[in-house]
Amino acid sequence: MLLQLRAIRKRFGGVAALSDGNLTVAPGEVHLLLGENGAGKSTLVKIVAGMVQRDAGEMLWQGRPARFERPADAAANGIAMVHQESLLAPHLSVAENIFLGREQRLPLGMVNRRRMREQAARLIEEHHFPLQPDWRVERLSPAGKQLVEICRAIQHGSSLLIFDEPTSSLSEAETREVFGIVRRLRQRNMGVIYITHRLEELREVGDRVTILRDGETVYGGPCGELSTDRIIHYMVGREVTAIYKRTPQPPGEELLRVEGLTRKPLVNQISFSLRAGEIVGLAGLVGAGRTELCRTLFGIEPAEAGRVRVGGREVRIRHPRDAVRAGLALIPEDRQRHGLTALLPLTYNLTSANLGAVSRFGVLRAAAERQASADYIGRLRIRAESGRQLAGRLSGGNQQKVVIAKWLFRQARVFLFDEPTRGIDVGAKVEVFELMDELARAGAAILMVSSELLELLQVADRIMVMRQGRLAAELPGGATQEQIMRCAALETESALSEEGN
Amino acid sequence: MIQRLLPFLTLIVLFIALSFASPYFLTYTNLSSVVRQTAVINTMALGMTMIIIAGGIDLSVGAILAFSGLVGTMAMEAGLPIPYGVAVGLVAGLFWGTVNGLLATRLNIAPFIVTLGTLGIVRGITLIISNGLPVHKIPQQFSFLGEGNLLGVPFVLWMLVSCALLTHLILEHTRMGRYAFAIGSNPEAAFYTGIPVAFHTTAVYAYSGLLCGLAGMIEASRLMTGQPTAGQGYELQVIAAVVIGGGSLRGGEGSVIGTLIGAFIMGLLSNGSDLLGISPYLQQAIIGAVIILAVAVDELRKRKLG
Repeated sequence: MLLQLRAIRKRFGGVAALSDGNLTVAPGEVHLLLGENGAGKSTLVKIVAGMVQRDAGEMLWQGRPARFERPADAAANGIAMVHQESLLAPHLSVAENIFLGREQRLPLGMVNRRRMREQAARLIEEHHFPLQPDWRVERLSPAGKQLVEICRAIQHGSSLLIFDEPTSSLSEAETREVFGIVRRLRQRNMGVIYITHRLEELREVGDRVTILRDGETVYGGPCGELSTDRIIHYMVGREVTAIYKRTPQPPGEELLRVEGLTRKPLVNQISFSLRAGEIVGLAGLVGAGRTELCRTLFGIEPAEAGRVRVGGREVRIRHPRDAVRAGLALIPEDRQRHGLTALLPLTYNLTSANLGAVSRFGVLRAAAERQASADYIGRLRIRAESGRQLAGRLSGGNQQKVVIAKWLFRQARVFLFDEPTRGIDVGAKVEVFELMDELARAGAAILMVSSELLELLQVADRIMVMRQGRLAAELPGGATQEQIMRCAALETESALSEEGN
Repeated sequence: MIQRLLPFLTLIVLFIALSFASPYFLTYTNLSSVVRQTAVINTMALGMTMIIIAGGIDLSVGAILAFSGLVGTMAMEAGLPIPYGVAVGLVAGLFWGTVNGLLATRLNIAPFIVTLGTLGIVRGITLIISNGLPVHKIPQQFSFLGEGNLLGVPFVLWMLVSCALLTHLILEHTRMGRYAFAIGSNPEAAFYTGIPVAFHTTAVYAYSGLLCGLAGMIEASRLMTGQPTAGQGYELQVIAAVVIGGGSLRGGEGSVIGTLIGAFIMGLLSNGSDLLGISPYLQQAIIGAVIILAVAVDELRKRKLG
């Protein structure tokens, strides 16, 4: 056995993150680690990687008892981790990041840039990554950064590689590429621990699986024997249907009309409309311009050309403030960075877009604010100790609800959801879908960007596909994943609709 | 919670210790002189608290103090009545605060750099218009602002308490204060929420400038001169007061009460050293050590929570 963990325990302050963590990984095995957010997956792998110290329990590394005090100890023993949040140096190049801490040296301790660049280029080419060794990391998308992390872990020649939700920010095509990499690692007899939220990935790459629930290992065994429903049962501890299907309703009046919206290069002559009660999906590969469309529409990077009408009235959006005033809401892709203020209380986050409603002459009315916060915590079933809890302390799903509640409190009518289920667990996903459905039923219009095609098909009434900055096609809600992929990835044979034209 | 109270406990312990260590400490004359000495730094620190909460910093506060004091007293010298002279000083402070805010937000330059620049500019202009010479011809009654008593309490204490209450109200109970916390904690999220980040950031700098103007007039009143070289190095004391009181230079954290305590801790340290005959050279080192200690304790507290 490469790695054995037995009865691992870990507490943070008063909270038990792990009470009985068990995990065994053999060489040449891809081991999936599943569990809801807060189940202890990240803590368990962080103990392996030397980032967190266990309180009790036993760890055997290549058959010998081991305890890694620092990440560097684990790395020296051949354990590498691809992190969920990017731990890269943003101002350095892709090549410099890949070799960070292990620079190729010339005499006198000088860094051999040329050799690092060449090796990085070879590595990138070998795996067909859409990267260049000279690109600065700060300019990369979350997906691009993830790829750099993967390169870095591979380059360091480890014998155990830990992926912490590698595909949560990747498109389908990039996900396939990651699977390819994982298979190649397996052939080289490396061990792989793979944390994921996407159950579909399971059979594609997994050999064996360990499922955690509330800090305990509740299942460990081969992947093949488990049905998806069984897995969810283990993860959640109760029966949850994985298949969510929204029943669309007849759409109402037109709430948003976009004509010729342009901000080059990734938003090019985009025209579409959204009606009240509609959920419209926006599919496309990473880099097709979906997030950029949302950002342009919302005034974060204002449009260079094009017209926007909200509720029949033409609006000029040059700042998010204009968008908010017009009744638009953006639930951003990067929740931690753009959606929430993690260090401020839940209530402050919730009322931040509409302080006018809880103040008189600029003076806040504490009672009104508390009332509003209590209302929305109840309505959206946000699991929090109180409105005073810091937003950053909530689970991913509940954080997302706070972001949504912020816009509900602002009485927004057009919602732009950019990857709304990224990094949140199965149970919470369904809750977010239900919330979107409720919103639509109450008369909102929703645009939903998602890289998870299955999700789009479950939730959206119709699906627009973007490719290289343009709307390439529009498909009905009953489309298949293959149809969407074909439109997103291929140049020709797109089913252009009137609006997509 | 106990660690939260640590600055306050330190202040009390310091107070009690000094009461025993020196017979002169617990006298009306000495305590009111501590209040008067601390008032200037304290007033400026209130504005700085807001700036630091909003994720900024202002190195030009000392220069703004000197400029305001100078033009205020020059106005009086030219024959303007005292209230108008004070108003001139306040407007001068407000003006430079606004300039700082506009430069930081419109040109998108880091506030550290902007205010390092305006520190030089304002100080230079002050020396030019005064020719480097202090203003002396000031009406006698003007000394009331810095040295007078109202109901047996130094007038500056009334001023300070009023300003502190106002600042506390703004920070904790108004939209402007809430936005300051939001902008300081996560400027990007604030922008994405539609908060007018540039406007509110500028407002915070302007408010701080106004308080520097007031501090400038208090300083001028205490010295009974408009001193173009006044306030040198005050920016560091002011920032220290905020930081000792729990303000974080990463933004989003700080409070009025903390800052007041921070300023008084420094005031007592310096007063105590004087009374005990500790060399002023050593005083500086002690205050420096206290700053590092305060922040270290605060970081330790946060790590325990995290």
